[in-house]
Order: sequence, then structure tokens, then C-alpha cells
Amino acid sequence: MVSRATSEQGGAALMAEFDEELGRLTVKVVYYGPAQSGKTTNLMQLHDLAGPELKGEIMTLETQNDRTLFFDLLPVGLRAPSGLLVKLRLFTVPGQVAHDGTRKAILSRADAVVFVADSRRNQTTNNAESFDNLAANAARVGLDFATLPLVIQFNKRDLPDIDSEAVIREQWREAPWPLTFASAIGGEGVRETFAALLGQLYPALDAQFALDAQHGLSAEAFVAGLCDGDVALRAGG
Amino acid sequence: MKGVDRSFTLEELLGGNTRASLQPRIESLVGGATALTGSGGEPLWGRIPDGASFRVPIQLELEPIGHLVSDVPDMPRLRAAAALLGFLLRQRAQYLMASDLHIETVQADYEALLAKHAELEESERRLRELSSQLEQRVEAQVALLDERQRQLYEAERLASVGQLAAGIAHEINNPIGFIRSNLGTSRKYVGQLRAVRDALQGGSAETLERAREIDVDFILDDFDDLLRDCLDGADRIARIVRDLKGFSNVDGAAEESLDLGENLSVVCDMLAGQLPPGVALHRRLAPLPTLRCRSGHLNQVFFNVLRNAMQAVGEHGTISVAASAEEGGVCIEIVDDGCGIAKEHLGRVFDPFYTTRAVGEGTGLGLTVARDIVQSHRGRIDIASKPGSGTRVKISLPAEAA
Repeated sequence: MVSRATSEQGGAALMAEFDEELGRLTVKVVYYGPAQSGKTTNLMQLHDLAGPELKGEIMTLETQNDRTLFFDLLPVGLRAPSGLLVKLRLFTVPGQVAHDGTRKAILSRADAVVFVADSRRNQTTNNAESFDNLAANAARVGLDFATLPLVIQFNKRDLPDIDSEAVIREQWREAPWPLTFASAIGGEGVRETFAALLGQLYPALDAQFALDAQHGLSAEAFVAGLCDGDVALRAGG
Repeated sequence: MKGVDRSFTLEELLGGNTRASLQPRIESLVGGATALTGSGGEPLWGRIPDGASFRVPIQLELEPIGHLVSDVPDMPRLRAAAALLGFLLRQRAQYLMASDLHIETVQADYEALLAKHAELEESERRLRELSSQLEQRVEAQVALLDERQRQLYEAERLASVGQLAAGIAHEINNPIGFIRSNLGTSRKYVGQLRAVRDALQGGSAETLERAREIDVDFILDDFDDLLRDCLDGADRIARIVRDLKGFSNVDGAAEESLDLGENLSVVCDMLAGQLPPGVALHRRLAPLPTLRCRSGHLNQVFFNVLRNAMQAVGEHGTISVAASAEEGGVCIEIVDDGCGIAKEHLGRVFDPFYTTRAVGEGTGLGLTVARDIVQSHRGRIDIASKPGSGTRVKISLPAEAA
């Protein structure tokens, strides 16, 4: 028996899917951003470096030029003390302007979004257009952009011709979302971005599915289990 | 759930044909008989062996989607076969999700196109409507401009005629004044001359003879008559001048409250003098409510219509002017028994510059101007005519005229 979350606690309800029979909560996370900002690389690095407790194989469907045509999918998860399987399906969208229909379809029913921006100065316009596109598509698929858990990652910090973190933080001073800085190609900042997103996501999930009260899953355990679960297991085991 | 959010069962991902071709290959890899079971334990191929058997989960995402079961005690081979199956399943799942996504996207694009198409059709329809209306609006505007221009032309004409008339009237009034005054004095002198004649009755025979010769009695009587006629004539001139001033009161285009019956009388008086002996002008003017209107302009209407009637009857005939109060206003009818208007002309009598008269006799503006003026008073003018038996013009003016 599958039920869609519809409660209105703590702002807009998440779209997360709770399957009582299978004891499974499925959450959808989307990596959004302009073309070639490093969304797929983020997923690859999460798969290779970060160690969630449970991790599936990454599904990618790339064209010849390493451009994402449809999406990438990385399933990760953890098991709460209650036995509940919390499963996060991490998607990327194709960044090219032409694939807006696909982007919109993947964004629909998303529970959280990582916006991967390209730090290079000459990409400022592309970042802005893509962010506007995210806001527009969120509205089209019925997501409340004001309450949607969102983290903005400035990627490609290893490249020249970028603004300093201080300048970027100053530019985004008014924005309510956490900013992270990454060089996904080298694996830096990928885990931190994901952890920041989990920190944004947990309160909404907890409000709706009583993760702490009913399933004994605290915010710390949630973030740690999805980021460093296997390290903990390895260390502990 | 569709697209990337759907979840799959093993049975969905491996169709019957695929299973049939996969089973022997997996079994030759494992090195013995296998059984494939779904997430609920249901067998999809092979028979689950009794007793001790080896069981390896097949993973799609995080959880097992099914199991590969065998009696062959070779776990590495069995795991490798299960991983291979998992790899195939993921490819298959991703293909299915991508194709769902593709269909969804194409459908959305198609619907967007349909919506766009409908919008375009709608805007084209509006455009067409607008352009057809535009023609009408331009026509209406042109007609309005024409009318305004005619009114302006006619108003200018009336104003200059009025100015001329007022000037002439003023100039004539002075001489008429002293002519009348002198004529009056002359009549007094005639009376005094009679007294002189009477005094001469007892004069010499020569004087009496001389008086008889020049017929003093006749001269004095006739002189009196002549002066009386002249005075009458001078009075008539004075009245005509007064009427002319009143008639041409076009400068005073401001509205005033008045009894149209008086206007009709003035116009009839003016024209009465021009009527041939064989033409009779009947007036049936009932008491009318006062109307707010522009007097000089309505005079022009009555004059134009009456002049037409006169021209229609020619040397012999009858013209009747009737005015009566009707509900909400007044009704004026001018009827003649003249030549009438031919059917082909009747529809065009109000057209500007349309005339059946010889060049120089009519401008073709009389009825056009009459209609414009009546309409500007929110009234209406209708013409009924039968060739050979006459014409009836009916003018209705509402009490709250403009």
C-alpha cells in the first residue's frame, strides 16, 4: 500500500512516497543547473567517495560528448532504527536549454533540489537563466519554491577566472538558501553539498513522517547515515 | 506513477521471451539448473529446489527485486550471474524510464503546440474581426466627417447669409423709418390741403374754374389712397426686414426655449409673398409645447422643405403645414399635391449634392442639411411620396431635443 504524502505540516507537503507495507520512504532529490556545470560529476563522486549506508549502482544515459540526454540516477539509502528504509533517489537533469520538457518532467514531484552553478565569471548569465528556469519549472509542476529544500553549489572552484567565495556570498547575501563551494571533478565539496541538502531536507521529512518520534531517526543520524554510513559501519564493524 | 518515478517488478523488466532466452545462458554460466523468483518469492523461471539451495539477491536500486536460486554450490558464480542480471535489469529500467520520459515530454510539447496553435487561431480571429471592424469604423468616421463638413459648410453659408441679411436689414430700416415718417406727415398735409380747398370754395370764378380743371377733389382723394398704400408697403417692408432678421438668426446658434409654431408662421409669411396666385397655403398650427432648440437652424429646415413643396406644385396646387403636439415632442407635417418624387430618386433625396434640378437651381443640399439639423436635435425626418399625387414630409422633434 503506497500513500503519497499530503499533510500540510511545516509548510508545503513533500512529494515523498511512503510505502507502509514495504516499510519504505522514497525521497526524490534533483541536481539542477546549467549545461555542463557538473551535475553528473557530483553524482559520480557521491557514488565513488561519499559512503551512504546503502548505495545502489548509478544509472547514466550519456551521449557521445558526455552530455546527459535524459537523466542520471543514483539511489542511496539508510535503514532507520525502526526498520524503515529511507531511500533517496538522486537525479540529474539535462542542462541544455533545449531539453526543458525533460527537465520539467524530472523536476516534478521533487522533494529537494541542489542547484549546481558554474563558478566561472563568463557563466554568470547561464547560471541566472538556469536558476530562473528552475523557479519557473517548479511553479509549473506545482512545487512551492519558497519552501522547497534547496542548496546552491558553486562548482568548478579549481578553474581560473572565478569570483572569490566572499564576493559570491556577498552577491547572494539576500538569498535564503545555503551556499556551498565545490570542485566536483576532484571530489571536493560534493559531500558537503549533499550534507547541507540533507540538513535542509530533514526538518520537512521529520514534520511529515515523524522520523525522530516514530522511527528513532535523528537529524544527525539522518545526515551521517546518508553521507558516511558505510564509513561508520566499516569503523564500527 | 510514470516516468522516472515509477517502480518496477522483475516480471515487468524481464518479459517472457527475454526470460526464455536468458535462462539457459544464466544456467550455463552457473553450471546447473536455476530458479528466478520475484520480490514476493513467486517463480519466474525454473523450479525452486527442495531442501538446501543457494539464494542470491538481484538488486535494481537498493533493495532486492528478486532472487536467483540454485542447487549448484558455487556462490561466486551465482553472485556473478545475479550481478549480470542486475546490470541487465538496470539497463532495461533506465530504458523504460527514458522512454516514458520521452513520451511524456513529447506529449507535453505536443499539447503546448496545440495550445499555442489555438492561441494563434484565436488571435488571428480577433485580428480579422478587428480589421473588418476597422473598415466599418473608418466608414463611420468618414461619414461623420462628411456630415460635420456639410454642417460646417452650411453653417458658414447661413452665417454669411445671416450677416448679409442683418446688414441689409439694418441699412433698410433707416430709410424705411424716415419714409414712413414722411408718409405720415404727408397724409397730414393732404388733410390740410383739403382745408385749403374748402376755404377756396368761396373764391373767384377763375379760381373755381382752375380747380375744376385740375380736378382737385380727385387728386386729394387719390393722394390720400396713394399715401395709405405707400404706408402699407413700407409696413410690409419693415415686417419682411424683421422676419429676415429673425429667420437668419444663425449666429445665435445657442439653444433657446421656444414655440415652434411662431417659427413656422414666420417662414410661411416669408414664402407667402412668393406664392403664385394659383397656389394655396393652409396652416393648421395647434398649440405646441416649448422646445429647447436652435431656432435659426430649424427655420432653415422648414424653409428648405417648404421651398421644395413650392417647386413641386408649380403654378397650381395646395400646400398644407400642420403642427401638433405628440407624445414626447412635436410633429410637423408639410404636405403638397405637387409632382411627387420618382421612386428611384426617393432613396437618395438625403444624399449630399443629389439633385434633379437644373444646374444653378438647387445645390442638392436642402434635404441633406434639413436631415442633419433634425438629427442634431435628436429628431427624425421621413419622406413619403407618390409621383403625380404629391409628397408628405414628416418631422418629429423630441421634447428633450439636443
